[in-house]
Amino acid sequence: MPDGTATLTRPAEGRVNPLRAGVDVNRISDPCNIVFFGASGDLTKRMLLPAMYNLRLGDTLPNNYGIVGFSRTEWSDDEFRAEMKKSIDEFSRSGPAKDPMWSDFAQRLSYVSGDFDDVKCFQNLKEHLQNNDKTLGTGGNVLFYLSTPPSLFSPIIDLISRSGLGPEDNHVGWTRIIVEKPFGTDLDSARALQAEVEKVFEEKQVYRIDHYLGKEPVQDIMALRFANVIFEPLWNRRYIDHVQITAAETVGVELRGGYYDHAGALRDMIQNHVTNLLALVAMEPPVNPRADAVRDEKYKVLTALRPIESNRVMLDTARGQYDAGSIQGQPVPGYRTEPDVDPHSNTETFAAVKFQIDNWRWADVPFYLRSGKRLARKTSEIAIRFKQIPHRLFGELGDSIDNNVLVMKIQPEEGVSLRFSAKVPGPKMHIRSVSMDFNYGTGFGVVSAPAYERLIGDAMRGDATLFTRWDAVETAWQAVMPILERWETTTDESFPNYAAGSQGPPSAERLMAADGREWRKI
Amino acid sequence: MITDALHGKIETIKAELLTDTAATTTLNFLVVIDDDAQRQWVLDRVTLIDDKHPARTIVLNTLSTGDDATVNADRIEIAAGGMTPEDVRSLVQGLMIPEIPSVLWWTGDEIVDQPLFEPLIDIVDALVIDSSGSRTDDRTIRDLSDFSARRPTVALRDLAWMRLRPWQDMIAHFFDDPNLMEELFAIRKLEIVSGSDAEALYLGGWLASRLGWVACAHDEFCDRDGAPIPFTHRREGAGRRVRSVSVETGRSRYFAALTPSDEGVVSVGVTGDRARPDRLVPLQSIDNASLIERAILEPPADEVFETALHMVGKILT
Repeated sequence: MPDGTATLTRPAEGRVNPLRAGVDVNRISDPCNIVFFGASGDLTKRMLLPAMYNLRLGDTLPNNYGIVGFSRTEWSDDEFRAEMKKSIDEFSRSGPAKDPMWSDFAQRLSYVSGDFDDVKCFQNLKEHLQNNDKTLGTGGNVLFYLSTPPSLFSPIIDLISRSGLGPEDNHVGWTRIIVEKPFGTDLDSARALQAEVEKVFEEKQVYRIDHYLGKEPVQDIMALRFANVIFEPLWNRRYIDHVQITAAETVGVELRGGYYDHAGALRDMIQNHVTNLLALVAMEPPVNPRADAVRDEKYKVLTALRPIESNRVMLDTARGQYDAGSIQGQPVPGYRTEPDVDPHSNTETFAAVKFQIDNWRWADVPFYLRSGKRLARKTSEIAIRFKQIPHRLFGELGDSIDNNVLVMKIQPEEGVSLRFSAKVPGPKMHIRSVSMDFNYGTGFGVVSAPAYERLIGDAMRGDATLFTRWDAVETAWQAVMPILERWETTTDESFPNYAAGSQGPPSAERLMAADGREWRKI
Repeated sequence: MITDALHGKIETIKAELLTDTAATTTLNFLVVIDDDAQRQWVLDRVTLIDDKHPARTIVLNTLSTGDDATVNADRIEIAAGGMTPEDVRSLVQGLMIPEIPSVLWWTGDEIVDQPLFEPLIDIVDALVIDSSGSRTDDRTIRDLSDFSARRPTVALRDLAWMRLRPWQDMIAHFFDDPNLMEELFAIRKLEIVSGSDAEALYLGGWLASRLGWVACAHDEFCDRDGAPIPFTHRREGAGRRVRSVSVETGRSRYFAALTPSDEGVVSVGVTGDRARPDRLVPLQSIDNASLIERAILEPPADEVFETALHMVGKILT
């Protein structure tokens, strides 16, 4: 029974602020500088600076922080601020920046112009950060963010070290680095990049970003699996027939044709986003929710992915490239006529892969992964299809009894759907499938922070749970390399082989049909 | 009394609900409306919450009489004006889904002498109310304090208290620095300006309960050493909003006040021995539907609220 007097701890007794009881603190405690390499680029403008501004509006940033842009463009501090204001006005989820918050935020923005291969420019950056430590109280902590083209990652890391900006030269605070995807373009390049990273940073200082993992529904997968008792007993080969993971987009390559034509769906989506979803669905329960416990389990399940032998690539995978078609009633061009795309391109815009996981839980349960552009509908989901009932007790009247299906919906809908069989009301034993849906509504209230806000905030806090560890990156590359090698050395003469707005190429349907199964409709 | 006509309508509604397709229901959400002017405002917020948290929602309009019971977008609305409280309770109980949380949103600001209040409280797990913005904030809070002591098993959520979270964080943040924590125990004066009384009372009660103060006179606390702490609270500006908080110690003044240029931003600073430059804190604008949502989702026991409420009860008596 409360008596109006809380249990009180005076400072001398334990230095606990008694006003903090029950008052959540989402604020990042460590002061720090965050340096965006590639600050004049599209990602910084569209995503990163708006994310920083919204972190400020949410009062999440520490009291003392500095945001430093670094790129080749010749800008003064004020020009950088003006450019960033334009970006925030256009792209921030909170709407245009306005005073007094914008002026307050702008004071923390500054800019260093320089080449990514000039050590003098990095030494200028070092002086700039030291000055921020004095004037803004940023405490010697620095978070670097590599938002440049991937080819610049290694040179930047090298110059961070050579200019004395690396963690080994920081004796007063911490130094961390966020590395944008893609982490390499194949296994060799990923290993080469990692070798450069390792020369300067310890693994705990490296935050490999996959913005997909920052999405709220992806985190809901863990909650569904490990905050309920009813699913886990069924979550294995005894009850599950197969798993389908889909990441379908209606958009084409838009302005990324130059990049995408050298990447393709396998590199762009399957190797990272979709494989990460597979790991979350298939991993064993972690012993605690902390970063390394979760990442240990994800790594373990990825190491259990059965390598696809070269001679099985054609059997266990399917690739496609979109042709002209129609999306929501609007005609759209084919991939080969998109800007900056080779008109004879052999790059896949659709990839489907059948993986097997060789462990006790998942032996003989195929995981079908697919991702593509210009498909019928934008949808990301994980569908767990359970086995058939062992004995058909009902259905003499010709009713079909469908397998149970649990669907975790990631976007655009967020939620869970369970399909099960029920009796149709009436005197006869008719059975039909019904669907029980739960949608995480987002129609009002506090909108969950977009992935970049969540992830940058986590990196500033030092929480690596939603970032990908090197061992998982390497293992995921190992899993897709046989497919990449085969696809890059053989031309698919059927390209383009699916119409924009369709379900994907016929080869994907054949992949499933060979196992007596079919894809869920996109 | 439940008429045969109403009974028939309710049975039809029950049958329709049973034959509906399988759906998820997260709570029984009971809403009592006792003011026609508020009806549409309340229903709009009920719809928002229903959309996000599928619920068995039962709206009781206590001013409306007749045999009316309707289902509108899965929301059951009942004209409860002509029924006895016990009839209403039995009717509502029959419509509720067992074994899921049941929440009562009492949209009026008075709970004493309201015939329907106690019968409904008997069948719910949580009560959501807003003590702020009326002319009787202090009386409502006093009644809530009594209620909390009398019915400890019903989780009490006051939206007026929940709106204070950003201000509590700002005040707490002054003293997060371990070097400043000693100042907490040297507070000599507390001033709060707000558009309605509930906010000021709750903030005062919260500080007092956290810091071990006692109510020693009208608008005055005494700290653990018996030193008096005058508590000044003044009404100014729009209701349900805090405008400024000032905490003075012997050596410094800690203040947070809405900025004149943007009332969505608070200027926070310290003057005196511990002077610090002013800092801007954006005030998160939280609409009422979101507050009600939080009220529904928060865990049942809130010891910080209960002790603050109890302290406010002492100030007011």
